[in-house]
Amino acid sequence: MSRQHWLTPWLFLLPSLVAVIGFSLFPFVNTVILAFTNARTIGGGRFTGLDNFGRLLHDPAFWTAAGNSALYVVVVAPALVVLPLLLALLVRRKLPGITFFRTAFFTPVIASVVVVGLIWSWLLDTRGLVNGVLQALGVLRTPIPFLTDQWLLILSAMLVTVWRGLGYYMVIYLAALGSVPRELHEAAQVDGAGRFRRLLSVTLPALRPTMVLVAVLSAVSAFRVFSEVYLLGGPAGGPGGADTTLVMLIEQVGTGLRGDLGYSSALSVVLFLLTLGLLVATSRLDRNEAAS
Amino acid sequence: MNSLSRRGFLVGLACATALAATGCGLSGGDPGAAGGPVTGEVKGSITFQTWALKPKYTDYLNGLVTRFQQAHPGTTVNWVDQPADGYLKKVTADAAAGALPDVVNMPPDLSYPLAKQKLLVDIGSAMPDAAKDYLDNAWSAYALPGQSGSYGFPWYLNTGPVFYNKALFTQAGLDAEHPPTTYAELESAALAMAQHSDRKIAMLGLTPVIADFALYGVNVMDPGGTRFTFNEDKGVRFVELYKKLYDAGALIPEALTANYTGAGTKFMNQQIAWAPGSAYDLSNFKTNAPSLYPNVGITKPITNTGHATMFVQGLSVPESSKNKPTALAFARFVTNAENQLAFAKLVNIFPSTKGTMDDPYFSKSDGTDEAKVRVAAAKQLGTAVNYTPVQWSDQMLTVLQQQLAEAMLGKKSAKQALDEVVAQCDKLLAG
Repeated sequence: MSRQHWLTPWLFLLPSLVAVIGFSLFPFVNTVILAFTNARTIGGGRFTGLDNFGRLLHDPAFWTAAGNSALYVVVVAPALVVLPLLLALLVRRKLPGITFFRTAFFTPVIASVVVVGLIWSWLLDTRGLVNGVLQALGVLRTPIPFLTDQWLLILSAMLVTVWRGLGYYMVIYLAALGSVPRELHEAAQVDGAGRFRRLLSVTLPALRPTMVLVAVLSAVSAFRVFSEVYLLGGPAGGPGGADTTLVMLIEQVGTGLRGDLGYSSALSVVLFLLTLGLLVATSRLDRNEAAS
Repeated sequence: MNSLSRRGFLVGLACATALAATGCGLSGGDPGAAGGPVTGEVKGSITFQTWALKPKYTDYLNGLVTRFQQAHPGTTVNWVDQPADGYLKKVTADAAAGALPDVVNMPPDLSYPLAKQKLLVDIGSAMPDAAKDYLDNAWSAYALPGQSGSYGFPWYLNTGPVFYNKALFTQAGLDAEHPPTTYAELESAALAMAQHSDRKIAMLGLTPVIADFALYGVNVMDPGGTRFTFNEDKGVRFVELYKKLYDAGALIPEALTANYTGAGTKFMNQQIAWAPGSAYDLSNFKTNAPSLYPNVGITKPITNTGHATMFVQGLSVPESSKNKPTALAFARFVTNAENQLAFAKLVNIFPSTKGTMDDPYFSKSDGTDEAKVRVAAAKQLGTAVNYTPVQWSDQMLTVLQQQLAEAMLGKKSAKQALDEVVAQCDKLLAG
């Protein structure tokens, strides 16, 4: 039996391996295969080569969705790199009752996205709380169309995403802030550096790897945004579908009994490649900057 | 064990993975056998799937199962109920895997793509004597347009009145006792309400769905059901009417993104004054919007065709069923006149079997609001039509909603928007 010892680790691995192959690898490979077919949800399909990818290039819905997802990354990712850091610096201080604020900032992270989406939709509705208060105070005469204007809707969704993400990334920054060597601060202080100078010259360089991590994580999740836009803008993706994101488009095209699985798989493959590209670009940028 | 080499193990694992991955990519449903009467002994076990009937109607459904099993010794019916949310996804997944239960609750638009792929039993040829038991308009709801056959036993029907908010009508200076009965009256009432309330109260909460076009008198499809035609002049006029109401503030801005549930909530919140509904909604208002309930007025739906729209639910038997004789017998049993009448008395729905609606329960009101709605709806059902074409899909609804929003916002003319919807829907229909 000693010759079979190599099998032992595989046996330990087996449960996880089955799960990974069954729920990750298999669906992934299957999606790639389907992307080259005209498969429907029922009734199968046949190989159509690159047709789906050609169709995608001429599909205005794809370009709208890709544009919205990209815009989401451009606005949300920087906000989620900077704002949680400021928040972490704020709640790091040892003040009475600070634990309450730390918990309060983290609450949106654990709240259900559906509940959060519904609450925000009630707040931002034309007859919702925000418009109601502003109108009652005489600030506005006509309500602001937060949820029915193409740009205000996507901005509102971004606001919700940032609000939800603040606490999560704040915790990551808090952990990183704890590992910034105290001696560096003391040395800088001896050299006459003020609080702001120490933030720029000590804290931020020490936090650089964490900031890159937060940038990557927030950019990838912003690129794949679905729930916030879906809940605020409805299943059609806002007025005229103008706020549809890539994941929403995949859902719209590929689900239901008459779902176009081939095309939605092609969209998924493109989303995957774009996300991968985003990751590679961010890590390259980080490496180049570190080298310089 | 000694013969099992490391390389062999890994190669085997890789091959198994690759086979599994490639094998499933293009799997299709198994097209069924040719039609013809289904004969055979009613025996053995079947699975019966309903849509969100548990736990409210558990006793009724269990009673049906028990009586069927007693009438047919040797049969076992396993009743499973799926929650309302995600029902379509569940049916889709089961259909794609060829694992649909023996008897499945589905509305016509869900049965259509399955029937088209020959995944459902043609009831018309499997049980040629069944058609005569059901109302013609209900039976034909499960037919494939342009082809013979019918793919579901109609189970229950629903149609509804329009609910309106009397208090909001009065506030806007409108006669709450005489709600609009024509589109022209609705238009002028809606405009008056928006103007009087300084755009704070809207009459309508939803852009039109496909059945609304049909109620307006628009020809939604060509007679053969092969292409959509609602971009005709009348359809354009209908969208222009909505555009006028939107500009005046008589259609809430959220209508551009809302779905049906969203509009229902707006009515319950007393933010809109007019909402088509069903007899079921009345009890919903009573429970969930008690302050609205005393203000709810009930009136007939507005139609240019003389017919109201109705909704149909039915039971279909998949071709993949291993026990078709029992499945068909059970589906027919559940949908027979006696059982439908008993079900209709439990919940605000209407039977689809011939003659059942003659029961005094549907023609005599005891004075309660529920009874009034029931009697009015039952009268309406006699000539009601299922105005949502079975070919209509969720993707088409999304396209319609998106293009109507563009028209309302003035980014496109009504004609341009409808031409675009029809072009995209025709493409989806052909695909």
